[in-house]
Amino acid sequence: MSRALDRIGTWIGWAFFADLANGLALTFGYMFSKSVTMQYPDKEKWLPYSRYRGHHFLKRDEEGEIKCVACELCARICPCYCIEVIPYEDEKGNRRPAKFEIDMARCLFCGLCEDACPADAIALGQQYEFSSFSSRDLVIGRDDLLGKPGKAMTGGGVVAARLNTEQDVLVETSEPQGYNWWRNIRRT
Amino acid sequence: MELVVAVGLIVFKVALLIAILLLLPLPLTWLERKIAGHMQQRMGPMRVGWHGLLQPVADGVKLLTKEDHIPAEADRFLFKLAPILALAPPFVVFVAVPFGESVSVLGTEITLYVSNMNVALLFVFAVIGIEVYGVIFGGWAANSKYAVLGSLRTCAQMISYEIPMGFAVIGVVMLAQSMSLLDIVRAQANVWNIVYQPVGFFVFFVAGLAESQRIPFDLAEAEGDLGAGFHTEYSGIRFAFFMVSEYAIMLLTSVLAVILFFGGWNGVLVPLPPLVWFVLKVAFFVYVFIWFRFTFPRYRYDQLMAIGWKVLLPLSMANIIITGVAFL
Ligand code: SF4
Ligand code: SF4
Repeated sequence: MSRALDRIGTWIGWAFFADLANGLALTFGYMFSKSVTMQYPDKEKWLPYSRYRGHHFLKRDEEGEIKCVACELCARICPCYCIEVIPYEDEKGNRRPAKFEIDMARCLFCGLCEDACPADAIALGQQYEFSSFSSRDLVIGRDDLLGKPGKAMTGGGVVAARLNTEQDVLVETSEPQGYNWWRNIRRT
Repeated sequence: MELVVAVGLIVFKVALLIAILLLLPLPLTWLERKIAGHMQQRMGPMRVGWHGLLQPVADGVKLLTKEDHIPAEADRFLFKLAPILALAPPFVVFVAVPFGESVSVLGTEITLYVSNMNVALLFVFAVIGIEVYGVIFGGWAANSKYAVLGSLRTCAQMISYEIPMGFAVIGVVMLAQSMSLLDIVRAQANVWNIVYQPVGFFVFFVAGLAESQRIPFDLAEAEGDLGAGFHTEYSGIRFAFFMVSEYAIMLLTSVLAVILFFGGWNGVLVPLPPLVWFVLKVAFFVYVFIWFRFTFPRYRYDQLMAIGWKVLLPLSMANIIITGVAFL
């Protein structure tokens, strides 16, 4: 009985284009819901998490000595051959890099160099805004790498796009889990 | 003197009409992209001007300065002729379309239409039929398989949908006892035709969607399967011609729907100037067109044919017969 009623209901709905009307109502509802677009270069930007793989940086140890021992393991494991290390012996007799260059134009940000490093000297940090008009400017030397911002401390927040978050700026985000992407998305 | 004023007035009206029709696609493309964006929870154009308001201008400049490319194997004459054939008829049609009774400016009554033909409806359908040649020539002349497929589809689609569309408006003509669009609107002063002719309106609207090649009937330019259909090979200003023509036809279909079924400039309840009522109604239909576009998928080719011949044609015939019987 109820199945027959259902069938009749379906037919009546079909005759009056209930399915099409449903679709129209859905899109109409969406039209007045908030959009999820993040207007990145204009208004806001998203802070990377601490595990984000951005621009490399070289670390120093407690004495301020550069950690890298110029073993060239990172250069060997790099799938793009974009790291070039030339070692030298410093005053204390330690092996250190005289030249340490990364060609960021070729790097694919796989993070293998970070994994391979026996001295925990190189890592991929939080910086991602380093686009350039010339690929030659993207070859970064040792001293620049030492000054690059490290891993992010907090992450996931959305801040004004003009905010400079590189130099040890700690941004408290209101949402500890990071930005909730699903906030404005209707789930029915 | 009388003659000079009369001729000057007509020239002025035509010029105004052309200017409006040429400029209207600009805000319409912006609206379409905005509405599309918000329906998909995006923002649409935001960067050129306030909320992307100047985006259509930027797009227009880009289109005009782009290379006007003609494929090597194309039939050059037809290739150049097609965009003009597609663009001119929608403009010509508006000559016969009234936008209101009249307004008095400086003591003289100025009618809000260029001409009051007694066969305006016939004229509209006859002239708009020419537009399809632009599409067919365009696809044929480009000598590309996607374009030819697109125009073949258009051909079949136009033939199968002109007929129910023509039949659908016969009911309206019967009610008004006239083919003049002005008289048709006047006949709806009390009750709109949609009350008497819901089926006629339905057939007209669906066929109108097909005529203006909008989703769900945009088989002629189905992006998914044909590249861009008949205008695959067009670029630059000739492509812009096709775009403007498409928007003009969308506008025309909305205007015709309002005039034939929704009482033209006759308002209800709220007393607004007739022209405002007219514009509001047309805007509503334009919105519906855009709304449909971003809601529905495209019909398959055989479904398109089935709807045209098996649903719309019998419905429109039945509508004529029932209207006739009721009229007797
Ligand atoms: S992240 Fe990968 S590609 Fe980039 S330098 Fe390190 S190993 Fe090479
Ligand atoms: S960064 Fe690490 S892996 Fe690369 S050369 Fe220095 S110590 Fe070796």
